[in-house]
Amino acid sequence: MIRIAAVGDIHVGEDTHGRFRPHWLELDAHADVLLLAGDLTNIGNAAQTEVLVAELRDLPVPVVAVLGNHDFHCANAQGVRQALESIGVTVLEGESVTLELAGCKLGIAGTKGFGGGFPGACGHKFGEPEMKAFMQVTEDEAHRLEENLRALRADYRVALLHYAPVKDTLAGERLEIYPFLGAYQLGEALDRAGADLALHGHAHHGTEKGVTPGGIPVRNVAMPLIKRPYAIYTLGKAVSEREGSFSAREAALS
Amino acid sequence: MNQEDQYLVGKLQEALAVDDHVNALDIRITIAHGRAHLSGEVPTEERRAAVHRIACEMLPDLEVRNDITVFELVAAAKPEAVDD
Repeated sequence: MIRIAAVGDIHVGEDTHGRFRPHWLELDAHADVLLLAGDLTNIGNAAQTEVLVAELRDLPVPVVAVLGNHDFHCANAQGVRQALESIGVTVLEGESVTLELAGCKLGIAGTKGFGGGFPGACGHKFGEPEMKAFMQVTEDEAHRLEENLRALRADYRVALLHYAPVKDTLAGERLEIYPFLGAYQLGEALDRAGADLALHGHAHHGTEKGVTPGGIPVRNVAMPLIKRPYAIYTLGKAVSEREGSFSAREAALS
Repeated sequence: MNQEDQYLVGKLQEALAVDDHVNALDIRITIAHGRAHLSGEVPTEERRAAVHRIACEMLPDLEVRNDITVFELVAAAKPEAVDD
């Protein structure tokens, strides 16, 4: 069994020094990994990045993150990424990583995602170049997510996003802003490639639990919503009980 | 809200989004009977105060009622088995 701690939208600023670290320092008692679902800083400037690094340095479990729209505000997203990587945090921007945890392989495909909306009320690559470009970003994000999920060789596959892949987890937000909160193409990518769990943030007033049309559990872990330093999700029984697991197959082949 | 008040709300929301002491996209603002009502949640008292200051600066002719709350973290909940 893998225990995943997850939270997004912590919006670190110079006024939040040390707010999360006491909770995260004890993570190894409760979880095997910490996944961060974007909006790690409020605007992604150097000062806030320093605060973030101080929160995350030398945590007792591996940390994997995607960035969110707030992290891009100061055009310093690469600076945020490099600072996180300098302390051993894995940052995924249309990428994936596989971790060996609790005797099995956890594959994580991560990307920020983007907006666009959901069937019946969504954008299209039609009209002005700006609109086409907007929707192309969403399609590219979804394409990378699907490719990365498909390529993972792991017992469990998790998608880590900032934007929402389904509208279930937006319930509570104003309908008018759904197209700025997520896009169905991300959910479609999940269903096409398959995953055991999808995590996202961004929708502070949404709902924690949802599911894709294909049945993949989706969890909105925006901190203003869950109001906890992290939520914990477990995947799977003990690996020995899981027939046909990747690790079991790999062991049988060796 | 009348036409003028609706535009005031839009401009204040834009200011709260881009002000580097706030950068909040989800503060609710209504204007009625000479009063601007602010609500929502922010992570720190500093950001709550900054929202209030900006609202007072931009709406000098209105009384500003600040019902924004600072949310507190509670202890982590028990794990959820998502694939049971």
